[in-house]
Amino acid sequence: MTQQKFKRNCLIAVTLAAFALPLAVRSATYLHILIILYLYAYMTTTWNLVGGFAGVLPLGHSVFVGIGAYTSTILWLQYGISPWIGMLVGAVLAAGVGYLIGKPTLKMRGAYFALSTMAFVEGIRVMVENIDMLGPLKLNGPRGLNIPPLQAGEGSFWAFQFASKEPYYYIILTMLVAVLAMTSAISRSKMGYYLKSGGEDPDAAQALGVNVARYKVTAMAISSFLTALAGTFLAQLTLFIYPKSVLTLDLSFELAFIALIGGRGSIAGPIIGALLLRPVTEFSRIYFSSSLPGLHLIILGVVLIVVMLYQPRGLTEPLLRIFDRLAARFATTPPDSPDTPDTPALPGIPVAPGAPATASPREERP
Amino acid sequence: MDPVFLAQDCINGVLMGLIYGLVALGLTLIFGVLKVINFAHGSFLMVGMYVAYWTVTLSGLSPYPALVIIIPAMFLFGYWVQHLLIRPIFIAEKNVREPITVIIVTTGLWYVLDNLALLVFGPDYRALHPNPLKGQMLEMGEIFVSVPKLYGAMATLATAGGLHLFLQHTRLGRAVRATSLDREAASLMGIGQWKIFNIAFGIGTAVAGISGAVLTPFYNVYPTVGIPFDIKSFVIVVLGGLGSIWGALVGGVIIGLIESIGPNFMTSTWTEGIVYALFLLVLFVKPSGLFGQKQDW
Amino acid sequence: MSLLQVQDVTMRFGGLIAVNDLSLEIGRGQILGLIGPNGAGKSTAFNCVAGLYKPTEGRILFDGEDVTGQKPWDLCKKGLARTFQIVKPFQSMTVLDNVTVGAFAITDRRDEARDKAMEVLHLLGMGGKSRAMPGSLTIADRKRLEIARALATDPKLLLLDEVMAGLRPTEVDEMIDIIRALRERGMTIFVIEHIMRAIMALSDEIVVIHFGQKICRGKPEQVARDENVIKAYLGENYGTA
Repeated sequence: MTQQKFKRNCLIAVTLAAFALPLAVRSATYLHILIILYLYAYMTTTWNLVGGFAGVLPLGHSVFVGIGAYTSTILWLQYGISPWIGMLVGAVLAAGVGYLIGKPTLKMRGAYFALSTMAFVEGIRVMVENIDMLGPLKLNGPRGLNIPPLQAGEGSFWAFQFASKEPYYYIILTMLVAVLAMTSAISRSKMGYYLKSGGEDPDAAQALGVNVARYKVTAMAISSFLTALAGTFLAQLTLFIYPKSVLTLDLSFELAFIALIGGRGSIAGPIIGALLLRPVTEFSRIYFSSSLPGLHLIILGVVLIVVMLYQPRGLTEPLLRIFDRLAARFATTPPDSPDTPDTPALPGIPVAPGAPATASPREERP
Repeated sequence: MDPVFLAQDCINGVLMGLIYGLVALGLTLIFGVLKVINFAHGSFLMVGMYVAYWTVTLSGLSPYPALVIIIPAMFLFGYWVQHLLIRPIFIAEKNVREPITVIIVTTGLWYVLDNLALLVFGPDYRALHPNPLKGQMLEMGEIFVSVPKLYGAMATLATAGGLHLFLQHTRLGRAVRATSLDREAASLMGIGQWKIFNIAFGIGTAVAGISGAVLTPFYNVYPTVGIPFDIKSFVIVVLGGLGSIWGALVGGVIIGLIESIGPNFMTSTWTEGIVYALFLLVLFVKPSGLFGQKQDW
Repeated sequence: MSLLQVQDVTMRFGGLIAVNDLSLEIGRGQILGLIGPNGAGKSTAFNCVAGLYKPTEGRILFDGEDVTGQKPWDLCKKGLARTFQIVKPFQSMTVLDNVTVGAFAITDRRDEARDKAMEVLHLLGMGGKSRAMPGSLTIADRKRLEIARALATDPKLLLLDEVMAGLRPTEVDEMIDIIRALRERGMTIFVIEHIMRAIMALSDEIVVIHFGQKICRGKPEQVARDENVIKAYLGENYGTA
């Protein structure tokens, strides 16, 4: 098979394996670890829509996680509305907030945009921490909101609570696969091209018909919507949310750092980042948090600095090159002919070798 | 409301505001020359405070004389951070209009420094000891003015004045200004831009060191002490205009006044909220701030 | 009816008047050249038409419609495309993808955009380089890429900003051929240029501006002999009596 087929088959195999995993792994603890891993991979992928594709640096994205979590939880606790519906409501609300934040700030210079997002998430966190009741809605300030679990051993789809970990596993895995498919589709579409060109050189892009600001804001709204879904999932998984769990700079930074180390702007980047870093940070947190507190954050920070100094586009590129070479070794037929390139616009999905990497001699003139 | 208390609040607000201005001064200077916003600024302040704390504790000097040690130490710290961490990025990304990677790296540095301090010094709040200035008040009629804050405000004015003189009247200072106005032209004139950047960063960090010495007599030291100051510094610097020394002081005073007078009318958390709201307002309406130069935002 | 009309456009930057009461017209299918000494205001006038600046005074009419102050992306959708004097390729995308960005101005579908992009690249003789990265191209090819990108938007009017700058004489000749070929296909072109033989060879008419004002308009031979033009370029002492 050709290289591209090989890579596609690998991807399919991995996905199928992931879906089949709970049949082999029965321990709730391990499943929980994987669930959180997928959740982070999901959140960094949605972050990437703004931070990677749109080319700006959002450092306050956890605000959308918080909006999703709080919206669905309040609707459930106070009005008995199913968290699934609450999830959608929260996502729409988040999209609106994302639009409102994005419209004025996405025109600014990168540093100011980053600062604005930080100011938003901190401002909202401070607000929620200090407000008990917002009109008829109970926010409960710093104490957070508790979702009472259903009768032990019972699960209810409607209530978005399950007795075992498997349903949560499948839900988050499905969400992750869906979001990856979505970002992949976007990257190949007009929006993807426009975002990428607008992020790289707005003047040139504008001259080609790209309303850069509008596309960036749209990307922001989409990203906010999708991120909020994760907020609801988190709330239903842990059954307890409070401002410092879902509205912190820490979470915002962690998402950004993981995506940056993995490689923003590529589709595989955030996932690879999450796969590499989450185990490390979890490990050091579990084993060292009493003796060496904060070690996992130091590690994350140091890794970030080192990667930014030597591989600012992220670790995915060199890793995928290794994957390329593996594929070349396993491929039995030559790659598709260069006349019909089906390479996507963005890096991260490797270009099949055999494409002329340097300019060929001049062709005849018209 | 009692006019005496109001007056007292105003005076303390101005004094504290000037001190905030001092904290923001380092940030605005670094931006003015290097055109980067050092996201690790709060952590640098924290480092400055710990340096001040340990210098006093170990040497027995009181904080202001200890500046003799603090300033050079912090200068070197900043100099090397710029040289080792930021310069490589500038070189690698010289075609990029605004190297966002610098923001990322300084944010990472923030994380590392804060958590390293947590690891090494523990989370305890430390109060300066010995502290000859502790709790001292100056009585002016019915108004009580905090003496350490008064000293701090004077230190701010001295530092700002000193920087102004340095930039306007010394050769090195003029070289710094030239580099900030036009990097390439300055380097064509034989001004080594990397050295200038390192020095500018060093000076900005040294100012953070001065702030540390100023704050420790009346503010506790702990690993994440930089964070509230960090955010306020950003607000002040944006408010006053990036790169403007006097803008930093004016911006600081505004924030200081809001903080001291505000609680008479609302809870302190709402006062904090007002600071954020003001920040966002300035960003949206006049991002170049009160005294900043017009840039292509 | 002319395709582009610039009516009494003045552009002020604070106290500086860069373009002073400039009027000109370009007819369909015409190649109009704009020349003038350095600092005369050519780029400013150009950028006013391209939507980068909003004129302080005056109007700009494109295809009969008043487009004064409209944004570059809207103008592009209306059929006005431009190149940049210092080329701005998207460095992280291939040549084909660069041009595809332009092609999306006329379609929403990727396959259609790519086909259009390949078509334009073939037209400019760059079909074989579709997968190259801009960083590996020569300056002449980068200029062609710049034009290809603009062409992919299917413009009615093409604005070329000093597209010959930095080219060797043989490359200049090739570029002249390309521009002529474009006109033969019905394109209207507005060219700023410093390389005299190129603009003399290409233009149907030339407008000369100096200190932001039009000092002459006419056929290339007329302009070359015009008293004011000679004085503007060579100084007062060179005007013939």
